[in-house]
Amino acid sequence: MARYGMMIDTRKCVGCYACRVSCQMQNELPVEVSFIKFHEIETGVFPNVKNEIFAVQCQHCEDAPCESVCPTKATYTTEDGIVLVDPEKCIGCKYCMVACPYQARTQDHLTGVVEKCRFCVDLVAEGKQPACVSTCISTARIFGDLDDPNSEVSKAIIKYNAKPLRQDLGKTKIYYVR
Amino acid sequence: SSKYVKASGKTEIKEIASTCNGCSSKCGIIGHIKNGRLWKLTGHPDHPSSKGKLCARGHGYATLVYSKERLTQPLKRVGEGKFEPISWDQAYKEIADKLNTIIKENGPGVVSLTEDPRATGKFYSPRFIQALGSPNYYTHHVVCSNSRDAGFFHTLGVTATSADIGSSKYIMFIGRSYGDAIRPSSVQSLADAKEKGAKIVIVDPRLNNTGNFANEWLAIRPGTDLALVLAMSHVLIKQNLYDTEFIKNYSIGFEEYAKELENYTPEWAEKLTGISADTITRIATDMGKAKPKALIEQSWRGAFGCNYENSTETGRAVALFNAMLGNIQQQGGSIIGAKSHLGALDPAKYPSPKKPELKKAGQEEFPLAYEEQGVATIVAKNAMEGKMKAAIFHHANPALGYGNPKYMKKAFSKMDLIVTIDVQMSETALLSHYILPDVTYIERDEAIESLSGKTPGIALRQQMVEKVHPETKPIHQIYSELAKACGFSQYFNFSLDELNEAMLAPTGITYQQLRQKGTIMFPDMTVELGKMPELKTPSKKVEFSSEKFKEAGFSPIVKWGEPKVSPKEDSFRLITGKQAIHSHSQTANTPILMQITKDYDLERIWMNPVRAKDLGIKDGDLVEVKSSEAVSKVRVKVTERIHPEAIFVPSHYGITSPYQKTAVGVGFGYMEHVPFDFEARSGAGNIQEVIVKVRKVKG
Repeated sequence: MARYGMMIDTRKCVGCYACRVSCQMQNELPVEVSFIKFHEIETGVFPNVKNEIFAVQCQHCEDAPCESVCPTKATYTTEDGIVLVDPEKCIGCKYCMVACPYQARTQDHLTGVVEKCRFCVDLVAEGKQPACVSTCISTARIFGDLDDPNSEVSKAIIKYNAKPLRQDLGKTKIYYVR
Repeated sequence: SSKYVKASGKTEIKEIASTCNGCSSKCGIIGHIKNGRLWKLTGHPDHPSSKGKLCARGHGYATLVYSKERLTQPLKRVGEGKFEPISWDQAYKEIADKLNTIIKENGPGVVSLTEDPRATGKFYSPRFIQALGSPNYYTHHVVCSNSRDAGFFHTLGVTATSADIGSSKYIMFIGRSYGDAIRPSSVQSLADAKEKGAKIVIVDPRLNNTGNFANEWLAIRPGTDLALVLAMSHVLIKQNLYDTEFIKNYSIGFEEYAKELENYTPEWAEKLTGISADTITRIATDMGKAKPKALIEQSWRGAFGCNYENSTETGRAVALFNAMLGNIQQQGGSIIGAKSHLGALDPAKYPSPKKPELKKAGQEEFPLAYEEQGVATIVAKNAMEGKMKAAIFHHANPALGYGNPKYMKKAFSKMDLIVTIDVQMSETALLSHYILPDVTYIERDEAIESLSGKTPGIALRQQMVEKVHPETKPIHQIYSELAKACGFSQYFNFSLDELNEAMLAPTGITYQQLRQKGTIMFPDMTVELGKMPELKTPSKKVEFSSEKFKEAGFSPIVKWGEPKVSPKEDSFRLITGKQAIHSHSQTANTPILMQITKDYDLERIWMNPVRAKDLGIKDGDLVEVKSSEAVSKVRVKVTERIHPEAIFVPSHYGITSPYQKTAVGVGFGYMEHVPFDFEARSGAGNIQEVIVKVRKVKG
């Protein structure tokens, strides 16, 4: 058993959308449906300006609010800590979309199922990296077992003092470096 | 549907190594094929440009193979924007008859072929036009890197160096953005350099998306990059921080250049560039101290590829600054790459057409332009003057992307024959007499590509799926069959496989091995760092003074020159650049990529808040952009990331072909505003010599 998680180093992110498109291809999503959303924060005054880019997807919360509100138990957490949606149980009520503090859920208009990042559970089962991680052109994303202190991701989180996006919104499994 | 998902989950996935076509970098890719359909791509781990990763274009552009808006059969023009399907045989016959008649009446100097080259095209296209007796082969470089190429070629003997970013201690980018015009391995090497403590400086009128890696952004006044480089060179001499040994051993004309540089003080440059003299002095000094592990990155288009009347001189000054740092062929410096040794077809069995005696059109006017690429827009100028009668365009969209579209349309209307070979109905295709439908890069094998660089190698593009539309054909087949119709099939009497076998022969690698691996590198042939190669300049050395420039009627040494036009208080310079999700106009009609543009309003122009306030413009407002050439409407992104003197427009939008339903009407084409022009030295398009006025409109 593992507790899978990710670190995203925003200092390395160039906002290239490679993660978004590779995720769409991997998961065979319609073009309008994306599991990764981008937020930019511009600070300063010309020419002393900084632009931070945040790639945000399902944060795979501990005690996930989307899971607790799901009326059909379609949303569940695997033994490895990955929050998933069972498409056969989902009735498309969108309660989870409202409950998600990160607005990370999106409804597939073709199937009606409310979908989100799955940490590429099939790839991970084969010992591979999620698509967004393996394609990241600047290695801004690191994935691995948060419970293993020797995993690359655990070491990086400590080294760079990475933090959840919003510490006030509960414990998550994606950590950000700013 | 979940049953299908489960069933498809059990399907065996076939993996095929190939190369990308999302931009000119042609990264190595692995296609993952499920049930005979392309499912997804991953980056080829061995290819030097991808190193296991792919950008958004690399992933998304591959969906082109299943686009509903592809060309599916040969078409003949029957009226403005009207076409009717014809058979391949009829198309070949009519094109061949017209080509032969035009050449009989006017000689072969009036026909031309232009492409954005890929491996097969590089071999077949020049061969085809030469078989017609014409030297007129051109590439898209006229709106990419003609200025840089000319500047570098006459200084270092190569049109481009590569930068040893990963080992460098001080890296300056001028207009080039690794984060916007992406090669995954370049971004990775920049991340590595940063991790190791390298200093990274971005010189750009806008804070581009590589900004996150930069220690410093120099928000330069557009068009004044040359002044910055000249002043930094001045500082290197004043502080005695240039590599005297290197200059002594490997260059000519340094004394003359040094004398000229006396004029270009940091204080002088401050007035032009808006960058303080202190900053210029500090950065030049620090780069001089970090030499030879310091460099100005060579760029492609960047700020001096084809943008300004002074761009070729900027190219020269950049190459010379690197030479003054003694960084040529040094670790952490500028690398002159090695090439793979590939074989050729046996000339006894497979005769080559004779090299035409005629001079390539444009070389007379622009003798400094790198001849292999040529000045592609001369085709339009000569057509306007009745001197160019026929044009073949392969994998190229000059009607929208090379020069002012109104000018191009008028010029093209004067030609007797235009043939476009493409996969979709481009603006150029719409102006053509015949359109021949290519297969996509996912559906064809190609000639072997030679990868030059610090370590050379080879890569192969391979067919991943059966062709989707039965009446489309790969380019090598089109050329061979058209050659037969033209009456010179003897020059195309080989198969693509035979060509590839011949190219592979000296390497000891079998075709089967290459097919399996897709990319094979030759680490034994890695260039030896620290050893200066003999340069291919006339003097075989770095030329601080160039006889070639003198012969062409220009100053043999670099001198400051103003850009052609400058904005006033009530106007802006229109500047352009890439976004990470598109390449030129070719990727615009890709739904999975264009959706990102729509989700994030990426087609907007950028404007500085100070100027926006003066004009009563708020973020998201609709404005009218007006130049001497056109009027466009677009929304505004108000941002501190742009110099007040400029507006920035992403260079991929403004598709006007109604057949490209996803892209048509999104944003505007910057080229609509660019006056048709040639930079005096390299013939480049001067694409940022444009002044516009902006006003708020209702909407």
